[in-house]
Amino acid sequence: MKRFKIKVDPAVCTGCMRCMLACSWVHSKRFSLSGAMIMVDASGAECSITFADGCIQCGSCADACFYGALAKQAPEEVMP
Amino acid sequence: MTINTGFSGAVLHVDLTSGRTSRRSISSETARDFIGGLGLTFRLAVDAVIPGIDPLAPGNPILIGTGPLVGTGIPSSSRVYAVTKLPATNTIGWCGAGGMAFGCNLKYAGYDHIIITGKSDRPVYLDIVDDDVKLRDASGLWGKGVSGTIALIRQRTGGRGGIAAIGQAGENRVLFSMAYIDGVSTMGRGGLGAVMGAKNLKAIAVRGTGHVEVSDAARYKTLAAELAGTIRNYPYLKEWQQLGMLKSFPMVPPELYEKIKKRRIACVSCPFGCKDLVEIPDGPFCGHTASSSSVINLLMPIVYGFSDYREAIRLVSLLDEFGMDMFEFFGIMKFAAELFAQGILPANENDPPIVINSLSSMTAWAEKTAMRKGAGEKLANGFAGLLAKYGDRAAACAPALVKNMHPYTGPDSALPWDLFGTMELGQITEPRGPHVGSGGSPTYFAKRPLDLFPRHLERMGVPKEAIPRILSANAGDKPGLNVGTLLAYSHRWFSTLGSLGICARAQVNRFYNLELCSALYQAVTGLPTTPEQLRLRAWRVWSLYKMLNVRENAGLNTDTVPQRWVTRPGFREYVSEEPLEQRQVQQMISAYYREQGWNVETGAPEPVTLKRLGLNSLFT
Repeated sequence: MKRFKIKVDPAVCTGCMRCMLACSWVHSKRFSLSGAMIMVDASGAECSITFADGCIQCGSCADACFYGALAKQAPEEVMP
Repeated sequence: MTINTGFSGAVLHVDLTSGRTSRRSISSETARDFIGGLGLTFRLAVDAVIPGIDPLAPGNPILIGTGPLVGTGIPSSSRVYAVTKLPATNTIGWCGAGGMAFGCNLKYAGYDHIIITGKSDRPVYLDIVDDDVKLRDASGLWGKGVSGTIALIRQRTGGRGGIAAIGQAGENRVLFSMAYIDGVSTMGRGGLGAVMGAKNLKAIAVRGTGHVEVSDAARYKTLAAELAGTIRNYPYLKEWQQLGMLKSFPMVPPELYEKIKKRRIACVSCPFGCKDLVEIPDGPFCGHTASSSSVINLLMPIVYGFSDYREAIRLVSLLDEFGMDMFEFFGIMKFAAELFAQGILPANENDPPIVINSLSSMTAWAEKTAMRKGAGEKLANGFAGLLAKYGDRAAACAPALVKNMHPYTGPDSALPWDLFGTMELGQITEPRGPHVGSGGSPTYFAKRPLDLFPRHLERMGVPKEAIPRILSANAGDKPGLNVGTLLAYSHRWFSTLGSLGICARAQVNRFYNLELCSALYQAVTGLPTTPEQLRLRAWRVWSLYKMLNVRENAGLNTDTVPQRWVTRPGFREYVSEEPLEQRQVQQMISAYYREQGWNVETGAPEPVTLKRLGLNSLFT
């Protein structure tokens, strides 16, 4: 599995949280917010996007984003 | 057999009178027969609603439901529906909202539905965290507006989860008060807020730490990837994302919108994000921020004569804070101004004088109405209350009304479309009162060429054999459009989407079709479902909705045409663009009933229809 640096642009994030659902699905084949390694807080004037320590930078969150708030950059390394 | 893929498989029952809560399972057969979401909420209402109940009595239940796709990441699958008896029309109605984070959190907490009954002896809010369900003291929230209430609850919950809350208008049982999900999505213009207020229920907060599973992961993955790809390739996607609802209703120039836009807001998993957070950039309200279900709602007072967009935003923010429907508020204000002018309402109560396009006047009257102060006490009872109090003299100067509510579109209404399509006719046949949400079809886009209709009709699940009946004039002798027949399928398509949990907005539902919906439903729930079966279930859902109101004796002979709609300049026929005549609308209503298998005279589903849909045993 490739490991990507994820470029974050909170200014265009709408808080749809599709990235969180994609993360939980890819890693557990279940949909949940609590199981996601990316966290979106949309309660403020600007969305806040953070990553948990357990994030493996697989890029599935960026693949799911419709708005360009997350983008995969060139793979940093290939994980074993 | 219970069901646990797609569905959480449980209903949370909350009795506000005793404070008791319980969790009950849903059978897979019932879930299948009524699809889920909107349809299953109607089914639960058959047993939960006591026929003839006063909407503001403790015994009137509030049922809330989400569909099986909610929380699965399928684009725009976040819808939440409430069903209750609404005080503005005294009918059982659906109240829909873009679910923001509420719907998926409810699923992750382990529930597809909530049924709330009774009345608390003090203000409370319902706090759901998975299995931990509490009624918490809301005395510190009572008297606060919508955003203030949500902010205080978020402080207690750490900002997570979804919240549905009412403002002061709901507390004071204003008949056109609403609930607001996460302070953005509006729910229930016929008085859901008043029903919550009458129960001393200030808000519902839900956080779920669980999950939703799907039955066929491989099939789900394929369908979801294809759908996402189609949406990404849509040439207008970026434009929708940048302009939101202004793309379809350009009330202000894009440059002005860019000045006030702080960010777009989307419900969970939606690729379009029709909601907005704006900030007034200058003038006396510089720095004022407002979030709304759409920027066009914030700007709607312009249609009512406001010349300064900043004042429009300021007023709608206030209405949202009180928790009142803006369309009904303006309708009532125009009616009240006429009642004062005619001397029907006492002149000394016109204080300050009602001036529809004045921020100071409307601000004062918003507060008087929400708080039931002065003449606001009378206006808070809506058109029905004013007509009951002042009788024929008031009726003579009333605007066009449908079931005693202010229509969205038409002469005297806010939205200027005058071609009579399914959304316009649907305002009459909606049991809940005038609403355009359920009547979508290709007529949404005025003057769309008829040769483009078949493709969209097939997508909506219209059977091939019905298309010639739709694409003919009422008399059937020349090319045209039978709006009444088409509306029957608009309502079934809305039932399909609403029961799955998908948003019915035109820019979203264009990516869905009946085949895709049945495939997604089967992949997620594991319930074998063909397109034909889903089409039948959707018909069952809408006929059940009608029957709930027939049982109330509210669904019979109530679909009447406002005279104003057919008085020039009134509506125009969709194809010919000639002035519409009352006779034509009556024919459309009859055609609608006929296509639904309902009695052409009364509007009640025929016994043979109930039998075919398996509904006869529910209403014996």
